[in-house]
Amino acid sequence: MIDLVLQALFSGILVGSVYALVALGLALSFGAMRIINLAHGELVLLAAYCAYLVESRTGLDPYAAIPLALAVVAVVAAALFLMIDRIREHRELNSLILTFGIGIILTNAILLIFASDVRTTSSPRLQDATSIGPVYAMNGELVAFALSLVLMVALWWWLKKSWYGRAVRAVSSNRAAATLMGISPVRTELAAFLVAGALASFAGVALYAMSVVQPALGHALTVKAFIVTVLAGVGSIPGVFLAAILLGVTEALTVTLASSALQELVGMVLFLLVLFLLPNGLFGARARRG
Amino acid sequence: MASLDSTPAAAPLEGAPPRATARGRMPGNAALVAGLLVLAALPLVLGASNYMLGLLISALILAGIALAWALLGNLGGMVSFGHAAFFGVGGYTSALLAAKLDLPVLLTVPLGGLVAVVASLAMLPALRLSGPYFALAILAYAQIFRILATEASWLTGGAAGFQRYPGLPTVFGLDLASRTGSYLLLVAVVALCALAYVAVWRSHVGLALRAIAESEDATRVVGVNSVLLKSMMLLLSAFITGVFGALNAHIIGFLEPDYAFSGIWSVMPIIAAIFGGYRTVVGPIGGAVVIYLFDQVVAKGLIAVGHQIILGFVLVVMVLAAPNGLVGLLKAKGGRHA
Amino acid sequence: MLDLDAVTVRFGGLVALRSVSFRVEPGEILGLVGPNGAGKTTLFNGISGLTRVQGRILFEDRDVTRLPLHRRARLGIGRTFQIPQPMKHLTVRENLAVAQVFGAGRHDPARIEEILAVMELQAQGDRSAEDALALQELKRLEIAKALATEPKLLLLDEVLAGLESQAKRQFAAKLKELHRRFGLTIVIVEHDIETISELCSRAVVLNFGEIIADGTPAEVFRDPRVVESYTGTAHA
Repeated sequence: MIDLVLQALFSGILVGSVYALVALGLALSFGAMRIINLAHGELVLLAAYCAYLVESRTGLDPYAAIPLALAVVAVVAAALFLMIDRIREHRELNSLILTFGIGIILTNAILLIFASDVRTTSSPRLQDATSIGPVYAMNGELVAFALSLVLMVALWWWLKKSWYGRAVRAVSSNRAAATLMGISPVRTELAAFLVAGALASFAGVALYAMSVVQPALGHALTVKAFIVTVLAGVGSIPGVFLAAILLGVTEALTVTLASSALQELVGMVLFLLVLFLLPNGLFGARARRG
Repeated sequence: MASLDSTPAAAPLEGAPPRATARGRMPGNAALVAGLLVLAALPLVLGASNYMLGLLISALILAGIALAWALLGNLGGMVSFGHAAFFGVGGYTSALLAAKLDLPVLLTVPLGGLVAVVASLAMLPALRLSGPYFALAILAYAQIFRILATEASWLTGGAAGFQRYPGLPTVFGLDLASRTGSYLLLVAVVALCALAYVAVWRSHVGLALRAIAESEDATRVVGVNSVLLKSMMLLLSAFITGVFGALNAHIIGFLEPDYAFSGIWSVMPIIAAIFGGYRTVVGPIGGAVVIYLFDQVVAKGLIAVGHQIILGFVLVVMVLAAPNGLVGLLKAKGGRHA
Repeated sequence: MLDLDAVTVRFGGLVALRSVSFRVEPGEILGLVGPNGAGKTTLFNGISGLTRVQGRILFEDRDVTRLPLHRRARLGIGRTFQIPQPMKHLTVRENLAVAQVFGAGRHDPARIEEILAVMELQAQGDRSAEDALALQELKRLEIAKALATEPKLLLLDEVLAGLESQAKRQFAAKLKELHRRFGLTIVIVEHDIETISELCSRAVVLNFGEIIADGTPAEVFRDPRVVESYTGTAHA
């Protein structure tokens, strides 16, 4: 029993690290533009299918698909941004509906191209298990975890040090003032969107390499990412990471201790509890009430 | 607060058509509804096939949810991604009451609406959240209800489904379970809901809600309890959706959680309302009929699996090119010529 | 009528109001004076419920400090906004109807017509507030809307700004008429010393979120601290 719980905790942390990558992308585009990109999960899915395409056609490792995934997702993310930027009225909610529509298009496009079958990596290297003390993990999961940590540090550095990072922070806190300071909001928002797309690319490839993907997954990923950002509260990177781990662990423990049917329920209930009882999230200070 | 304009509106483009037309006036009035009823009688007069009537029945079910969704969006200022919750609750409630307590179906249908209202009470805390948070909180609710319905198999039959419950009865010699009877019933209920919507829109509550959508603080400062009024819209929207869920359950004769709480019941009404124009009464109804028939007859014929991709494009194009929907577009055109 | 007891408002680290206390007597017209940024509008926001305050606000001896916006409006606190905030897509009459039904709890079209007549808005009654009204008409609509809620206390935020001196005198006379006719207590934010002296029996001067003077207009405008804070800021 103890072994099972330990294993659930460990697996939950590994899965959570990928949730964190997905959620960081969502949080980044929200932070810059104050809109929630409901197609973000589909961007991740797009990258995952890039990995499937490369692996099944060339026999290369799924991670070899990263350049392709980055390019494809960047093009879609840029197109998405340009469309959102065209919205004039009720930007917050119209963009919600717009990105929701894009999500439907992407999901069905993937369904049309790749059919509804469940796909996963065939690479033995990624599928082999490594045991660490009493617990074990697929190599693909360990790679994903390491990648997630590296990307989070990179993102932290980018937000902290680069001109773009400062600009994104300025624009998201006060668009008008940022414009006066000579920062172009459109340029910085586009940058935030592209970086969010890049995070989605890595997350998608990592997901394919450690788990199974299917067309309907995109929507579920968006919802999970949103749950994580709500749990985290303010968009601090460690906060998002911890919240994602919390969600991953809670889900894994539910599957181990109760049933897999309740996995989703636990996430949703956690989400609503935090939304209603802790309006600033577990780690945040920003109010989301109007 | 969850208002539709929590971001400041951008300056209108020069030469843009006057937009007040789509927002400030209500096209729906008794005469218009009467006209629609005449239009609705056409399939029967022209002797539509049972297949065609079946499609129209499904379209009208969607029209009812789309109307309820648009009511919440237009008057309550909230976008919902979770109307499937009310639809499923209404369907299961009515079917269970009719099957287990032997209540007459014409009573269990409104009771289905009422229990959907009770379910929506659990969502009232979400009204304090701003726009996107409300939209996604209600999505979470819908998922929770779906899982609960699956898990409570002692009551609902679980994933295996539930089908031994009465269908629609015969009233005054009209068999409501027949295609023609169901169609007439749905036309009547949709018309009734449309009239209720218009009545609310015209009332002082409706006036205040329209004012809230534009400037919440300025409206509250004259004594309007905005949270209360929005709550009323959520409850009304839940009731209407629950009633249509119940009607659908008795017409289809089979329920399972993945069907009754399917995301389709949240997504299709959004597409229908946005397509038709969610700030009007006829928009969601007309939008539902056009979108559903198009999806089932044209899109499905073109693309068997994944035909919803076309609906995705419809949604995107409408938001970008005609955020006031088809009705708004037609009226803007008419306005320029007049 | 209104008692403010150590009302304090902080925005982050900035203190917008520091322990403001004064009392508004029933029936008086009180001028609230001070340079831009002194905290006048913040004080109105605190009294009407738009901004949360520390300290206590008593309205007719009832503690309203924690009451939501709409409850205070129903108790009889009416206000206008410096930048008019009409309910844009409603007609002028509909604006007043909403204010009356929800603020006063009754629907009385005759009274709405009376208010429209007093505020000289009858001709504009069926036009939508957004596209048909000039700025001064919008300002009159602000007052009309507040009047429709049948307030006991009316908070007027710079309703006279932007008027020529002749029009200003006429409008001040109009305010006196409202005061008499509807039995109001009025607190008015206004920069113009002449208008305050003419209109108000008493003036309270705010500077940097604190009260620096309180008395008759004549007393207040002789106060050296007021003169110092005032020179060059508002009254050229």
